[in-house]
Amino acid sequence: MRRISYDLLFVLLAAALLFFLPATLKALYGKASVSYLSLLINATGLAILALSWDILARTGQLSLAHAAFYGAGAYTTAILLKLADWPLWLGIPLGGIVAVLLALLLGSVTLRLRGIYFAIATLAFAEVLKAVVQQLPTRIAGGAAGINVAALFRPAFIPGEMERWEVAFLRNQSYFLVYVGILLLSILVSILVQRSRLKPAFTAIRTNEEVAAVMGVKPARYKLLAFALSSFLVGLLGASEAHRIGSVLPDETFGIGTTVFALVTPIFGGLYTTLGPILGAAGLASVEELLRRTFEEGYLIGYGIVLVASILFMPKGIVGLIDSLKRRRRKLPRSAEEAV
Amino acid sequence: MSTALKVEGLAASYGKIQVFWNISFHVDEGEFVTIIGANGAGKTTVLKTISGLIPLRGGSVQAFGKSLKGFSAAKIVRAGLGHVPEGRQLFGLMTVLENIESGADYLPEARKEAAKTKDFVYKLFPRLAEREPQLAGTLSGGELQMLAIGRALMSKPRLLLVDEPSLGLAPALTKTVFGALQQINKEGVTVVLVEQNVQQSLKLADRAFVLENGEIIKEASGAKLLHDPDVQAAYLSI
Repeated sequence: MRRISYDLLFVLLAAALLFFLPATLKALYGKASVSYLSLLINATGLAILALSWDILARTGQLSLAHAAFYGAGAYTTAILLKLADWPLWLGIPLGGIVAVLLALLLGSVTLRLRGIYFAIATLAFAEVLKAVVQQLPTRIAGGAAGINVAALFRPAFIPGEMERWEVAFLRNQSYFLVYVGILLLSILVSILVQRSRLKPAFTAIRTNEEVAAVMGVKPARYKLLAFALSSFLVGLLGASEAHRIGSVLPDETFGIGTTVFALVTPIFGGLYTTLGPILGAAGLASVEELLRRTFEEGYLIGYGIVLVASILFMPKGIVGLIDSLKRRRRKLPRSAEEAV
Repeated sequence: MSTALKVEGLAASYGKIQVFWNISFHVDEGEFVTIIGANGAGKTTVLKTISGLIPLRGGSVQAFGKSLKGFSAAKIVRAGLGHVPEGRQLFGLMTVLENIESGADYLPEARKEAAKTKDFVYKLFPRLAEREPQLAGTLSGGELQMLAIGRALMSKPRLLLVDEPSLGLAPALTKTVFGALQQINKEGVTVVLVEQNVQQSLKLADRAFVLENGEIIKEASGAKLLHDPDVQAAYLSI
């Protein structure tokens, strides 16, 4: 464990700041804080998605199966609530566990695959899982029409004591705190990976599996561990989103968009770091909102241009840009290469 | 003297391309053995096959009296065989210390003695101690080679396989690296060195082999091979 206490302090500080953020927004912006909180929830969800994908990518496994784990989490909680009178909250950890089981299954059959072959196999897995869910009996998974999922929070309107919009605020505030909790867990997992023996093992497997082997690393074990950590986090997110959105639908919940955002965001922010995916999520969520407000219908064109430009001019993402600016200021040589 | 490594009828291939069919040799404990040969002779493949990086297509490998058949590369390291791969293969974005520690991190036995082994590595290569907090990617070629050897030593090997350590190094640095290998050998570690720097590597060797087209064509003491007319003509331009 290297510098772990310093990192934990940073996480605790961030947690304290985020805990008080909704109340601060309400005090500053009043009714508008409801939509600001919605934006923050989306950005936090994106950060969880991105960070969980990045943890897996640190072993060189560029997965296109994130939508499958997200969908597994969402459908687990939805089916449990539909079939039995489970406590609402139980579906979230169970969603994470089901995602892990599926990830271990996928991980164990793709251990020997690399590059494009691995990517195609994981994409196929996501599509197969979607098809399986669609084919399940309607009384279980709801077929193409999906399943409605009960909300986790139902704040009551108290006439005379609060305004109508405050109900939406309270609901958003509660969901925001749930998402922040999952994000903090993701950050802790990421820091543990970065500051423990896992980092050299993951890096060795990614950069050169032969070197990993001569160091005594058992690649299969570490690849599966990365799959399990990554899928658990995204499974938790999927289950929470199912409650927030209020329904699960095969095409939406297992949609390729989830996978695309999961991999684009860490690339935009900076791969193989804890900060990169979080900065990427904050950056992309802000850019998307700004473009949506400016261009309305055609905003996706602008969004695409921003992504292409960032990959062309910031190949190492926001973190890489900050790093090179710092080096330029201190007149230091170019950053070291990953493998030498 | 007991045998550290016994290779019999070794065969290896890359897919359908057979590199060698029938290589046999042995290395005694405490020996310093050098394998020389031209580019493409199969030297690196011999080391990779012994350390389990390339699957065995035929023959057998025994280390310290134990067959390595069916062992994964990670298990072979645990059996006491360290490997310094060609081209160093270090983690540029990790510090010197992190690179060194990573050599023992995944081996429970080696981890227990990691602090002591690290001291030995730093004594062997004082330059690494000075560079401890520096990113490996910013080191010079010679320092990288020292680090690669240091990382392999952290696994507490009884037998060290070293692949072309002089590659791309200036003569003075090559001398330092070879001196360190000699020191490691004096500490009781058996060394198998694969090299193209024939002159210096043969000077170090108790015994040496010449590998040509996937076959061992000569075997003698290092000093004897250094004066062998065929070796001189083929590798030393004399």
